[in-house]
Amino acid sequence: MRFPKITRRITLLAAASALLFGIPAAATASASTAGTGWIRLAHLSPNTPPVDVYLYSFGNSNAQIVLHHVAYGTVSPYETVTAGDYSVAMRASGAAPSSQPVLSTSVNIAADHAYTVAGMGPESGLRLQVINDTLTTPAGKSLVRVIQASLKQQSVKFHCSCGGDIASKASFASVSPYAPIPAGTWTMSATGPSSSASLPVTLVSGTVHTEVVLDGANGLEIVNLEDAAGAGKPPVGGVTTGFGGTAGHGPGSPLPWVALIGVGTLVALTGGLRLRRRGVGRRLNTGI
Amino acid sequence: MPIRRPAAIAFAAGLVVIVGGTAGLLLTRHSTPALRPVAAAGNAAGVAAFPAPTGPIVAPPQSGQPDPVASPVSLTIPLIGVQTNLITLGLAQGGAMQVPSSPTVAGWYTGSPRPGAVGSAIIVGHIDGQTGPGVFFKLSELRPGNDVYVQRADGTIAEFRVTSVQTYLKDHFPTQTVYGPTPDAELRLITCGGAFDPATRHYLSNIVVYAAEVK
Repeated sequence: MRFPKITRRITLLAAASALLFGIPAAATASASTAGTGWIRLAHLSPNTPPVDVYLYSFGNSNAQIVLHHVAYGTVSPYETVTAGDYSVAMRASGAAPSSQPVLSTSVNIAADHAYTVAGMGPESGLRLQVINDTLTTPAGKSLVRVIQASLKQQSVKFHCSCGGDIASKASFASVSPYAPIPAGTWTMSATGPSSSASLPVTLVSGTVHTEVVLDGANGLEIVNLEDAAGAGKPPVGGVTTGFGGTAGHGPGSPLPWVALIGVGTLVALTGGLRLRRRGVGRRLNTGI
Repeated sequence: MPIRRPAAIAFAAGLVVIVGGTAGLLLTRHSTPALRPVAAAGNAAGVAAFPAPTGPIVAPPQSGQPDPVASPVSLTIPLIGVQTNLITLGLAQGGAMQVPSSPTVAGWYTGSPRPGAVGSAIIVGHIDGQTGPGVFFKLSELRPGNDVYVQRADGTIAEFRVTSVQTYLKDHFPTQTVYGPTPDAELRLITCGGAFDPATRHYLSNIVVYAAEVK
């Protein structure tokens, strides 16, 4: 009996202190918002014809998102979804939604995290790959990674004019780690055994980019994706946005008023005394 | 007689000062209560008073071909009667967020993405001035689902919907959560809240309203 009582008291105490310190809004409201993440869908298999891509919430046979006729080289915008388990299915473009998918994979979407689910590889070995997308950047920098989706150029060197290779030997259907790059406009170049491409890319600090290397109509092609953006130089600490004009405040110090009364008393007393002295003197003079 | 007059004046003046001082002392002995925002007049009334702006709603740019998004020029939040121009804000010395000098105008932090572009755009306004409410006095009344509009220099309007309202102690301000990158077009509206510390003349907390663009 004793234990529950103590627990209750602690709970009450915690609630009271939370109320006092203004934590409750943060604590309770986050429960309702802890619930969303982001997903985008991509077709990066060069010799695979266009597909329809379906996103299902786990255990629900009605698709939450359907993208029709998604061709090679397409990356959808991010969709915000409730955190949880999902499955992604690919069907031939125009196939009945009830038909057996060509491919499917499951993906767990964690709150405040972002994912790219891409059809990768050659058609003969097509797979759906779940790629984790980062949402944090080092202070004052951008993060850049490369997805090598060129089948014709099996190995590609991806170079940034900022002074280094983001991927020195990117093999087909690979995803490079993120590289921190200073802000600026740089020339990104992809060089394969028999083809190359370059693209000027402006990087603002606080952004995350993916450079996709594709087989274009005339050799290699680079597509620059801005995946996410934030404040490149985050302000330090909280924000000072109030002067207190509507905040309650206690009584001001009584000292100035007391001092004023003191001065008044002194002046009145001096005046009064002088008056009295004169009065007495006069009476004495006339009285005799 | 000529000698008596100054003494009489001094006596009278002294009495007047005593009366004044006593009155002042008595009149300032009570505390003033904190102003609390009155309950919002409800959606319909709020919208009637501050109609949602009209103009083309522009969908966020597709990844890959980001259309340039124009600078924000004004902000409208119908439910709480906010209709303000947006000034531009940078960082103050020491790296803290610069804030508008006027309590009645909000500002966009130019180090954050433009509202409607991919990322988290930051807009800041005061909860109050020295003597009365500021532009974001009622910000904490917003709830998920409420509309926020940002008008831009090219005449387009980005429409946002509130996703959450949070209160953070300034000492524990979650910089990454508020200012960190997001993969969609979002908005953060920031003002002060919580207890007011009369010693430092600062509020102890920040209120942050999170909103995402309506596609």
